[in-house]
Amino acid sequence: MDGVGDAALVSTKILYQAALAVCFLCLWITIAHATRNSRPTPAQIFWHIILTILPVCVLVVLILQIPGDFLEANIPAAPIVHVKGALLSMVLAGLSFILVQRFGRLVRFRRTRRSERNWYLLILSVGLTSVVIAPFHHHFDVSSSPVDAPLAILLGLTTIASILFIFLNTIRLAWIIRLPVKQKMGALGLGIAVVCLTAATLLLLFRPDLALSSITELSPPIEYLIFYSLPLTAIIVLCITFGFVYALTSVLSLIFHLPTIGDYQRSVDEMAAMQALTVLVREVTDPEKLYHWVVSTPVDSGRGKAAWLTIQELESGSLKSQIVAAQNIDASLADDVCDVDAIHGEAARRRALVSIQNASSDRRTQKGKSSGIMSLLAVPLVTRTEVLGTLFVSRDVAHAFENEDIESIGVFASQATLVLENARLLEAKFERERLASELAIARDVQRRLLPQAMPKFSTLSLAASSTPAQEVGGDYYDLFELDEEKIAFIIADVSGKGTSAAFYMAEMQGIFQAVAQIAPDPHNFLCHVNKALGRSLEKNVFVTAIYGILDCNSGAISIARAGHSPAAFVDVTGRTTLLRSGGLGIGLDRSELFAQTLEVKQHVFNPGDLVALYTDGVTESRNPEGEEFGYDRLLQSIQSARYERAQGVHDAVRQTVDEFIGPEKKYVDDLTLLIIKWHGSEPVMHDAEDNPLL
Amino acid sequence: MSNFSVAFRDAGTATILAVCGELDAHTAPELESAIKKCRDEGKSNLIVNGSELDYISSAGLGVFMAFIEEIRTLGGDIKICALKPKIFDVFDLLGFPKIYHIVETEEEALSLFKQGIQPIQGN
Repeated sequence: MDGVGDAALVSTKILYQAALAVCFLCLWITIAHATRNSRPTPAQIFWHIILTILPVCVLVVLILQIPGDFLEANIPAAPIVHVKGALLSMVLAGLSFILVQRFGRLVRFRRTRRSERNWYLLILSVGLTSVVIAPFHHHFDVSSSPVDAPLAILLGLTTIASILFIFLNTIRLAWIIRLPVKQKMGALGLGIAVVCLTAATLLLLFRPDLALSSITELSPPIEYLIFYSLPLTAIIVLCITFGFVYALTSVLSLIFHLPTIGDYQRSVDEMAAMQALTVLVREVTDPEKLYHWVVSTPVDSGRGKAAWLTIQELESGSLKSQIVAAQNIDASLADDVCDVDAIHGEAARRRALVSIQNASSDRRTQKGKSSGIMSLLAVPLVTRTEVLGTLFVSRDVAHAFENEDIESIGVFASQATLVLENARLLEAKFERERLASELAIARDVQRRLLPQAMPKFSTLSLAASSTPAQEVGGDYYDLFELDEEKIAFIIADVSGKGTSAAFYMAEMQGIFQAVAQIAPDPHNFLCHVNKALGRSLEKNVFVTAIYGILDCNSGAISIARAGHSPAAFVDVTGRTTLLRSGGLGIGLDRSELFAQTLEVKQHVFNPGDLVALYTDGVTESRNPEGEEFGYDRLLQSIQSARYERAQGVHDAVRQTVDEFIGPEKKYVDDLTLLIIKWHGSEPVMHDAEDNPLL
Repeated sequence: MSNFSVAFRDAGTATILAVCGELDAHTAPELESAIKKCRDEGKSNLIVNGSELDYISSAGLGVFMAFIEEIRTLGGDIKICALKPKIFDVFDLLGFPKIYHIVETEEEALSLFKQGIQPIQGN
């Protein structure tokens, strides 16, 4: 061989190997692409590998059966040998690529930076080995030249690196721990099959005569592979070896994990239960369901034989509790055989877990033996501020709870506490929102009980407003046209404020509308109201009221006061009078005393005179210093605005009150103001002395 | 917040409840339970001394109404004494003096009990 021919041969070989490399790279990418999106379970991966190896082995044996072999052929080899080599290479390369890519998924389960690096170094070192091995001519090539020693050393290094990374990657078995028991067993069976099949493939590769007696006289497939391409052979052998080793370590690891499967499964179940609980907390606010979860979890996870939950009774403040859920035991039975209150009490007081390892020696649980309670844990569910209740977990063996069980139940209990507290807070929030909307409705309803429009009389101007201290209140005012000349008016204040007062206020409205028509006279009217309301009012509730009738033509007014703040009369000259006639509050007396003490006053307005009716919310309003608004300020503010129409007077008083109580405008009591001003049919001036008030 | 208190004092024929501070919807239950306690102990002659009472709301007035009937059925009475003028005015506006003995001093109230003067008619 001359140098030129040698060089030509080398470049031809390089081209050939490069072409092969491109072809098989395409094969690798095709396989990778085909399985790119699937997310198989470990058992499925093993199953896929089995389904790949079996036909490959059959194909290998069949291809070997094709007539024509190195042994019977001369050199250069017969064309059929090339064909057989190509076929075997393709089939086996396909198998090794599938093996590596499939197992690659398991190796890179729960990826870390290091695992990723090791995986790519494995592929790199296998690739390098195949490149470095290329100059080593296969032994059929007579033109082979001696190999350089450095190249041999390099080959040794890359091979060692390949083996090292095969080893490093085969101990990546994180997927096993996460596997549920059933899948573990399945993976074990399938893994053993994969070990056998990869071993058989390797055996078939090197010593087919040992595997199949029918092909003893044939060359082993490895020789065809080497003949076809030495680098590819290196890749195939390393890949199948990796597959074998990985399957073997998986099987061994699975076997070692078997004894701890129960324990592991338990903690997996516990974790799953806790996770479910956190999902539950978002979706479930029904306490019954949550309670059931809390008691069933320790039992389902095998930490306890039976469990029950007591919830602290909130109102009583004592350490009394009530069983709200039980699992594997009847709630009343648990209550019977154990002194649940005493144990709950201890746990709640100490805010720590109570462990009774030998139930029969503790007086609180002595009777538990017959019900299978031999050891008992009581874990208080403690929030930042209070004890919600206690979770009891029992077992039917004494000294059954190990430290690990106690820890685990403790952790679960704190989780459960969060869940229960959360549910409770949510519930309270819903309740608050519901109440708020109910109250908003009540406020609207109550507002409609007050006059929506004032009666229109040419001789009168009227103005009124009512502001409850809370959403609803107990103040009431109303006006009623008795006929074309007369109107009846009322202002009333139910004692107390808020919802209960609002109910009486509504009743008041009904009574006023009904009674004013049949008994418009002030004395009659108030006596009727006292009788009607007296029946329904609670003992400690009373109503104060002023009722009167005004003749719009003559300005004559007839008025009576039932315990109410005195009406303020202001005449056009500025003289003020507080009308303090006799009369008990409505509901104070249910006998004749009410009628006997009730006085009716008569008065005739001069044009420009007015009367202001108000509730004690006006006079008892306080400024930030705690001082009361009082009668003087009220009278003064009316007096100085007395030339205005009723609305002007009303607004002046409200403004004075608002300025008095300060910018925060916190009304401590319901506040109502009604101004009635008589303008007279024609402007007549009277001397104030001629019309002494009352 | 609660600047209200009730002190018990035994004065022979009657029990004196010295109330102090502001009697409103929040503090009314305190006076209520004080009167209940006297009733349960069989003491039905009660004098409420209001010399230290600074404020009374309608809910506070309701406490007197809640028990008067029952106490009188037991043969006793609730008498009120030593009210500040402003507080008396609240009682007066409502007509309380027509139903309750409201007097200037504790001694007066005690002598009313000693003389066995019957409660004012009503209820």
